[in-house]
Amino acid sequence: MGRSARRVAAVGLVAALALAGCSGQSLENGGDDASGDGQVSLKINFWGDMGLDKLKAKYEAEHTNVKIVLNSGEYNAQHEDLQKKLVAGSGAPDISAVDEGFIVQFRSQADQFVNLLDKGASSYESKYLGWKWQASQSADGKQIGLGTDVGGLAMCYRTDLFKAAGLPTDRESVSKLWPTWDAFIETGKKYTKATGKKFVDSGTNLFNPVLAQQPVGFYDPQEALQMEGGPKVAFDVSMKAIEAGISANLASFQPNWDQGFKKDQFAALACPAWMLGHIQDTAPDQKGKWDIANIPGGGGNWGGSWWTIPKQGKNVDEAYKFVEWLIQPEQQIEVFKTVGNLPSQPALYKDPAVLDYKKEFFTDAPTGQIFAATAENLKPQYLGKKNGPTRVAVENVITRVQQGGLAPAAAWAEAVKEADKASKA
Amino acid sequence: MSLTQTRPAPPGEPKHAPPPRSRYWWYRFDTKTVPYLLIAPFFLLFAVFGLFPIIFNAVVSLRNWRIDEPDNRGWAGGENFSRLLTDDDFWNALGNTFGIFVLSTIPQLLIALIVANLLNRKLRATTWWRVGILLPYVTPVAASTLVFAMFFARDYGLANWFLSLVGFGEEDPIDWRAAKWSSWIAIATMVNWKWIGYNALLYLSAMQSIPKDVYEAAAVDGAGPWTQLWRITVPMIQPVILFTVVLSTIGGLQLFNEPMLFDENPASASGGSDGQFQTIAQLIYKVGWKDLNLGYAAAMSWALFLIILIVAGVNALATRRLGGDK
Repeated sequence: MGRSARRVAAVGLVAALALAGCSGQSLENGGDDASGDGQVSLKINFWGDMGLDKLKAKYEAEHTNVKIVLNSGEYNAQHEDLQKKLVAGSGAPDISAVDEGFIVQFRSQADQFVNLLDKGASSYESKYLGWKWQASQSADGKQIGLGTDVGGLAMCYRTDLFKAAGLPTDRESVSKLWPTWDAFIETGKKYTKATGKKFVDSGTNLFNPVLAQQPVGFYDPQEALQMEGGPKVAFDVSMKAIEAGISANLASFQPNWDQGFKKDQFAALACPAWMLGHIQDTAPDQKGKWDIANIPGGGGNWGGSWWTIPKQGKNVDEAYKFVEWLIQPEQQIEVFKTVGNLPSQPALYKDPAVLDYKKEFFTDAPTGQIFAATAENLKPQYLGKKNGPTRVAVENVITRVQQGGLAPAAAWAEAVKEADKASKA
Repeated sequence: MSLTQTRPAPPGEPKHAPPPRSRYWWYRFDTKTVPYLLIAPFFLLFAVFGLFPIIFNAVVSLRNWRIDEPDNRGWAGGENFSRLLTDDDFWNALGNTFGIFVLSTIPQLLIALIVANLLNRKLRATTWWRVGILLPYVTPVAASTLVFAMFFARDYGLANWFLSLVGFGEEDPIDWRAAKWSSWIAIATMVNWKWIGYNALLYLSAMQSIPKDVYEAAAVDGAGPWTQLWRITVPMIQPVILFTVVLSTIGGLQLFNEPMLFDENPASASGGSDGQFQTIAQLIYKVGWKDLNLGYAAAMSWALFLIILIVAGVNALATRRLGGDK
């Protein structure tokens, strides 16, 4: 190393130290840790609206040393952000909501989360739906999350469009129209014949609820891909609907789909509890035109979330206290009334506040009763490690059929191939 | 590939007279050290945010690094790279990336050249036009792509409406996302829309440094506007053309936002139901954050890095040839 080179290195080092000094300081000042006066700030990441605004004020009033920071974002972005922060080793929120679609991914990284059993969460096990409790548990028995809500399943439908097609409109008679999925598709054919319009939004939105009703999903508890069981049943229903010409072939949660609501492109939609909020927000002027009937094929669950506490947080004890408070019946009922999310503690399904609740937007449908019944009756389904990517792979095959790029007869072989590839990715 | 050529200092340049002895240390410090101090911030930032990630990425690409298997973190050697060679998804994504790249870069630069040539003439409200063509560049990609996603929608999309005006696809509207050709055209349109103005302004600034008498002489010799453009303007702004070719090669091969937001299911990063328009950058994202295989994703990133180096080099050579630079 020559003299000049050494000098350059020295200059570089000084500048690097200066940089490091700056960033260190700013982190110190901007951080959320407890400052001198015992104030604790808890950052909570979630998506959409989980009904926390009022609860935050209430909790802060009762605990003057705690400040809650609500951070709502987009569904996928929030989960990916959490994953990145776990890999990076810092920056995760004190509390993070995790959805069913991602819980498997995170429970296999249980070491990154506070084991809630260490904080005394085991006393809540008996209060939860059994499958809800197990779904957030790692293979070696660590509990990374406490359940917030479950999806349940029902069928939302447009009473005005049903009436125009000469179909019954009250929810008892409509439920009787479709005891099975075959009957549902037959009803769809009648509707399409009478009106010339499509009956359901998409094949994938039939595949997912039917799969949720099956005892075994994509994977068995030994993590082996099981396409011939539940997935085959669900796939056949979606293919039948597409071939019957009753599907509008709109990809869900996309602009086209949202437009489909407004332009009456479909009349029925499989809906878990959390879907109600989406319908209200997308088509607010259709108030009173929607109603909720039973879904063919009985109980099942689609979606639902947990509260988790990443280990890297500095206030895990305060975070646990808040989560524990959030899952108490009083708060759970408050959330149910505000946004419609169904609690995951079955005792609440008998609570009059849930039982007697009627949703005005959906022609006063008793949403508490409807969703509680399906959530209680369902057989728990094991979600494998590769459940998310496998689901996407099969959904893509269904979309290809809808786009006309793949014959329905050849679709199943293709779905098996793609699912197999996703399971090994 | 440099735009400016450094030439050696001509010999015999007069040296500065040495200062008095008392201030000699300051003189030395000022001439020998201060320049390094002044350029140091760039190299420090580059080392931290440029060099380190590239090297770290190379290390990760040689390892097993699955997020969902915390115990599986050993060395993988060349396994990730050899897997790349037999991965259908990778070759599909590579084909898509090049297809969209060709569909976007060539028309983009040609149109930019023509637009710049038009703007180089005497026009009313010159500034208005010049600022106007830069507007697409200023628009955030997310915003413009969402508009284009609606424009190329299957039902109620403007693109299909325009086509129906000329009697095309009235009965059976085009599902733009369904096939390779249509999705590539849609994405290339978004890329072109965004970058034509930007490139045109670069060309324009270069054109303005061409002396007017060259054109006058050419006009006297009977050269029309087209001949002037191809025989005079293009060769004389060749360094800038080279710059834009390299720049759009890098941008085109890293294409991510447009296909991502155009997808019907953006969260899946699968680039259409059959990967019709999945680009390499999208595939890297999917492998890393959806399949949770960071080691493999890093290997793909390195492969992309090398591919960009090669293609940019080839394009630069080709452009020099085109411009008559021997």
